[in-house]
Amino acid sequence: MIVAGLQIAAALYLVAGLAAWLGVLLRATRITRASVGLLVAAAAVHGFTFVGFHFESSPPPLTDLPAAVSLMSWIAALALLVFLRRARLTALIGLVAPAAFVGSFFAALRFPHSPTEPLVGTASSWPHLHVILASTGLALLGLACGAGFAFLAVDRALKRRRPVRSRWPSLEALDRVNRATLGLGFLLLSLGVVTGMLWVDSETGSVWTGTPHETWSALAWAVYAVLFAVRFGGRQRGRRAALAAVAGFVFLFFAVIGVGLLA
Amino acid sequence: MRVLLLGMNHRTAPVELRERFAASDPAPLLAKLVESEEIEEAVLVSTCNRVEVIALTQRPEAARLRLRSFFRRELGGEAAAGEEGRRLDDALYELADANAMRHVLRVTSSIDSMVVGEPQILGQMKDAYRTAVDAGACGTILARLFQCAFATAKRVRRETRIAERPISVARVAVDLARQIFEDLSEKTALLIGAGEMIEIALEALREDGLSSIHVANRTRAHAAELAERFGATAHALDELPSLLLRADVVLSCIGGSSPLVTLAMVTTAIDSREGPLFIIDIGVPRNVDPSVNALDGVYLYDLDDLAEAAAANAEERRRETVRAEAIVLEEQQRFDGWLAALQAVPTIRDLRSRAESIRVAELERVLGRLGLDGAQREAVEALTRSIVNKLLHAPLSRLRSQSEHAGGFASLEAVRELFGLDSPRSGEGEEGGDADGDGSSREEP
Repeated sequence: MIVAGLQIAAALYLVAGLAAWLGVLLRATRITRASVGLLVAAAAVHGFTFVGFHFESSPPPLTDLPAAVSLMSWIAALALLVFLRRARLTALIGLVAPAAFVGSFFAALRFPHSPTEPLVGTASSWPHLHVILASTGLALLGLACGAGFAFLAVDRALKRRRPVRSRWPSLEALDRVNRATLGLGFLLLSLGVVTGMLWVDSETGSVWTGTPHETWSALAWAVYAVLFAVRFGGRQRGRRAALAAVAGFVFLFFAVIGVGLLA
Repeated sequence: MRVLLLGMNHRTAPVELRERFAASDPAPLLAKLVESEEIEEAVLVSTCNRVEVIALTQRPEAARLRLRSFFRRELGGEAAAGEEGRRLDDALYELADANAMRHVLRVTSSIDSMVVGEPQILGQMKDAYRTAVDAGACGTILARLFQCAFATAKRVRRETRIAERPISVARVAVDLARQIFEDLSEKTALLIGAGEMIEIALEALREDGLSSIHVANRTRAHAAELAERFGATAHALDELPSLLLRADVVLSCIGGSSPLVTLAMVTTAIDSREGPLFIIDIGVPRNVDPSVNALDGVYLYDLDDLAEAAAANAEERRRETVRAEAIVLEEQQRFDGWLAALQAVPTIRDLRSRAESIRVAELERVLGRLGLDGAQREAVEALTRSIVNKLLHAPLSRLRSQSEHAGGFASLEAVRELFGLDSPRSGEGEEGGDADGDGSSREEP
């Protein structure tokens, strides 16, 4: 049932992403609207899989990497839907939905997940809090990366005096998404790091055990701390902020997900 | 029934001639026009780019003359004669039936406009239609034609990109601003200069909701005059550095040999803000140092950039016109079908009438000799009526359905010819009419 839900969600994300690209390139309002509807449907089906997790084993086995990736992609889709209510950002579905497709498809492939093999030690109340906070932070920073990528594309076109003929969001809207998601994402990532340390402490009696996951996560947090300080303290904006968001997320993704996959 | 169109537009008549024949109050003119025996229905379209009368008539030759005299007398005021009369004759074009109907659909869809895809014409056509309806000049057929034209215009707008991209320099600048800013209504614009280009740009910015506008000019009085008309604030040029700090959109078109807006001024302005700065420099020679475009968050466009974008948009509109023409043709064929079905009604009525008169005549001839009683007579009547109805059922059904498609007119002509519906009746009696009492209104499609 959960696998079927994840597969349906993955298919809907994929179609939503394709529809968003078609809508942008063909400047077809109906197709663009359809992509929003498809994203809502995908997020709803995806949400039900977490309800299924909950009924299958409470608390749900989110500490497994596929489940965490699935949660991350779901939150990214939800966050985008929230932003869509405030600005013309439907083109971002073309970036977020394919990423959510990969996340949910990966989770479906690796089901059943392995809650009996947590990253460190046995389960307590901290692991779920850590995964939820860190995944939400990662999802928001992923959204900042998507907005940054779109910003760079539109900025490049405008700088080269080649006005964007397809329906991309305005630079201002993309920069606002970047700013909001970076601020909130960094805050949640920081809380995720703290709860992760408390989790490790509850299992080993020490907040630091020196695993690659801890080391890379601490490095990624430090990178984002710098990005956060520059953006909110040094008035960084526009192209540089977009570049920083893209580069920061690439590093963060490798540090948290890549190291987990390679381990 | 024939549809005629007589008119002049921006391609056939200069503005002074169009002005001369434009109608400020068309309602009484239309009411008078449809009082003429030759004209059954009429709509008058009078805009700055065209003056056209669309009329429905049974007598096309007489109607054509009446429409010409309508232009000379009613629209021209005093009879346009001599040189002006010749100019009018040269400027007028005549279209009939399918060409006239297609023209109405093309005009309403903005394919025939001076600026292809401009949105105002649809509203103007709707006004013209309403005026004709209120004046009692627009009947079933022209009403249907205009409804079809409005639906066609909506389809063209929905299914093509004919009106999607702006083609004037001012509108292109606003369109670019919308790619940079999410909501122009909360932005501040700085206009440098007070000439005609600035005024056009000011109108475009106002239309897009930009509320906070500053105008700076060498002669402050000129800036004040423009600012007063558009609800902006006027400044002198020496205030530029401080105005740049507040502006989100800068539009410059002012004379001068060296750049008025320097790299240093823009660097200071962009460093003091969070949002981007969009600069449109349409001055020749240029008013803004071109190197400012390299600054992060600054987007500079000059006249050539805007003209290039406008030309690309115009080319796109031209390509879309082909798709729009296909939609017009499709809708016109649909309207033709409806009109043909409407025109089938008299033929169907005549055929029924002819058959009925033959039936009655033959029955009368035979019944006198047979000496039947009442019941027998009724039975024979019912029998003959049934035979006639069954014989006519298939051809009439086909006539109705075929008349709604291309070639329907040919079928109607063939039926009239085969049954001699247009020739004087002989031999079968002259009772005619709707003898079977089913009413011709049943044939209305």
